[in-house]
Amino acid sequence: MKMEELSVSSLDNSKLEALAQDILSDLVEDACLGLCFEVHRAVKQGYFFLDDTDQESMRDFEIVDQPGLDVFGQVYNQWKNKECVCPNCSRSIAASRFAPHLEKCLGMGRNSSRIANRRIVTGNNTNNKSESDQEDNDDVNDNDWSYGAEKKAKKRKSDKVLLFSPCINVFIVFIYKTSAV
Amino acid sequence: MNKEARLKASINQKLTETGERDRLKELLRAKLTECGWKDQMKAQCKEVIKEKGLEHVTVEDLVVEVTPKGRALVPDSVKKELLQRIRGFLSQHAS
Repeated sequence: MKMEELSVSSLDNSKLEALAQDILSDLVEDACLGLCFEVHRAVKQGYFFLDDTDQESMRDFEIVDQPGLDVFGQVYNQWKNKECVCPNCSRSIAASRFAPHLEKCLGMGRNSSRIANRRIVTGNNTNNKSESDQEDNDDVNDNDWSYGAEKKAKKRKSDKVLLFSPCINVFIVFIYKTSAV
Repeated sequence: MNKEARLKASINQKLTETGERDRLKELLRAKLTECGWKDQMKAQCKEVIKEKGLEHVTVEDLVVEVTPKGRALVPDSVKKELLQRIRGFLSQHAS
């Protein structure tokens, strides 16, 4: 790209050199300002003098390397075997089963509306005796809500692909109705 | 005079547009850290902070006290290297 009026030939080297010095000066100034901002922020955020801590206090923050502890010295698996009380049904549930239980119990989450639909259908088809057993099945097998639905479980395998979309719920209801003997 | 000013403005624009200015900034920062300038400057800043008090120091305080020293403390080798690159850019784009 040529700048006709502003070509090098009309300027001597000293002017170019002065220009280069100017540019350098700008860059250095920029670097200094950057440093000032960095330092000021460190001061205001409180981490500027962090590396001046004495040796004694440094030992409090050394990395912990013991089995069963994380690098901060905290025990990390103490909640594995705890039991939680469900706020909804007031039952005591194991910690690892708590989240899925809450999903069903509160009626939220991906599967609970499908399961609720299935319950309505099988509740209509089978008699009410099996419904009282439903609650106990919760922790054993979360996908089956009643004994009455066990026969349907085998047929359900072929329908498994369809179960992933909530809008197919209506479709499933029709399938069960036609396959009920 | 006018021609010079226009040349300077156009060069500065070129520097920004081609990204060369950012590259030069990065290069300068890296070189200054490498040669210990940054640590020297941090020590200077500590002085200013101790003087003005940790709670009350402002950006202005730091800039005013520290920038002149900063300019003076840049090593010659760093200056030379940067100037070389700048001259190269000028000869490429000012002809």
